[in-house]
Amino acid sequence: MSVFEGLKFRKVYSPIHNLDPRIKFVYVCAIFGVAIIFWELLPLITLFVLQLPFVFLAGVRRQWLRSMRGAAFLATIIFLTNFIFSFIGAGYIVTAKNLENAVALTLRFIVLVESFSVFFLTTSPDHLGLALEQTRIPYEFCFAFTTAVRFVPVLAEEAQTIMDAQKARGLELERGNFLKRIRNYIPILIPLIVSAIRRSLELAEAMESRAWGATKKRTNLYMLKLHRSDFALIVITIGIIAVALYVRFYVAIPSLNELLMGSS
Amino acid sequence: MAIIKTKNLTYTYPGSTKASISDVFIKIEKGEFTLITGPSGCGKTTLCRCFNGLIPHFYQGELKGEITVQGLNVAEHPIHELAKRVGLVFQNPENQLFALSVEKDVAFGLENLGIPREEMRQRVDWALQLAGIYDLRERAPHELSGGQQQRAAIASVLAMQPEVIVLDEPTSFLDPLGAKKIFEVIYDLNRKLGLTIILVEHRLDLTAKYASHIIIMDEGKVVLDGEPHQILSSEETRLIGVGIPKATQLYHILRKDGAKLANTIPLSSDEMATLLREAFKG
Repeated sequence: MSVFEGLKFRKVYSPIHNLDPRIKFVYVCAIFGVAIIFWELLPLITLFVLQLPFVFLAGVRRQWLRSMRGAAFLATIIFLTNFIFSFIGAGYIVTAKNLENAVALTLRFIVLVESFSVFFLTTSPDHLGLALEQTRIPYEFCFAFTTAVRFVPVLAEEAQTIMDAQKARGLELERGNFLKRIRNYIPILIPLIVSAIRRSLELAEAMESRAWGATKKRTNLYMLKLHRSDFALIVITIGIIAVALYVRFYVAIPSLNELLMGSS
Repeated sequence: MAIIKTKNLTYTYPGSTKASISDVFIKIEKGEFTLITGPSGCGKTTLCRCFNGLIPHFYQGELKGEITVQGLNVAEHPIHELAKRVGLVFQNPENQLFALSVEKDVAFGLENLGIPREEMRQRVDWALQLAGIYDLRERAPHELSGGQQQRAAIASVLAMQPEVIVLDEPTSFLDPLGAKKIFEVIYDLNRKLGLTIILVEHRLDLTAKYASHIIIMDEGKVVLDGEPHQILSSEETRLIGVGIPKATQLYHILRKDGAKLANTIPLSSDEMATLLREAFKG
């Protein structure tokens, strides 16, 4: 169940973790947008490098590398398809321009993955739930979100217990062809679903006992407030957008190839 | 004045033909430490659900007779109104914590009630300290042990400042040490804050010494109701199959064998030790 390890979020303090999740999200979307409007290699390299300070400041290098490794497979596919099609299109020759294009499109994908992974690696689910609450999303949805996150490790543990119990009764999970293997999981899914339903009933009881729905004007223990660093991030975001738009419309971006040729 | 009063209370779950509790007639005074016990399926949990209105509002079904909490008729007041007066702590600690940190969980009830932030802060800290988990306030529930989770659940009920706290077998998922800590926390609340405690528990060995009132149920009925020493030494209690404290059992065996022991019936090993010490001296 190592898949769920990632959801066991521990509280970490770093300048990046402390940023307001709403602003961080806007920033990530801005990077996303900017990456979409460029297809040249140079600006995409700049975008990629621009994110690195965030990773280092947050101290999430190791997890970040892991998520980048996860993206490597897709990135390779993107690179190969682009390269092969341009290779065929150019009449079966490899040109520097084609190669650069393929690299640029791959890098664009990597930038997207990079920015979102930085966001999710540095935002605790708690913080995210709070951000949802304070963007006027109905509380029921926010509650469903945080409760889901809260119970993922619990259910994962329970699934493990059921698996062990069924194996002890002679269930063989790793047997048969692909379809048979899927069917093998039915004796695990059913008890899991039944117990989840029971659990939800108990949860509902506990919620009722703690005055759920007593008032329409719910208050909150925490309040997200914008700090100086959040304003700094807003300025950075606007700056990036402004520069990107300016470059896009008024500057002819040289390809890496031309740049190297020109200087030599 | 009695804080909780029931009169001919009878309740049948929807879809069931047999009443889960019938003709329950009890009175719980303010500041009492009441212990409710009895064999499994005797209706203890059902009775607990009546105290804060989960029955009849959440479970529906058929409620006959009357139950009042602080003078309020339970059938006529919504759960959230009763929740301010009666806090309910459940058996499984895991299923009553919803938030991603202990602190947020303790605040959950107060947030629902719309308490202003400054006051909420104070009450949360106060409850965390009373439950002895102030240092754990930023942890996630899954990082805590069962005992700590249960104390978090107690704190979250406590923060709502109810008059009565009802605990439905709060220690059945815990190890003996964790259970002992829970009982100590509960006893402190009763003694220091004067809160009315209603505890449903099988392990009388650990809890009988705290109680000032014992109710024994069997098959949906209240069989015995009264002062602990008296009830636990009666023949009837033994026959129902209630786990009578070892110290009390020992006392009766020794008395039968003709040991000269004083007439005060011990409920805990400490009390028994005192009795024996006196007997040896004399």
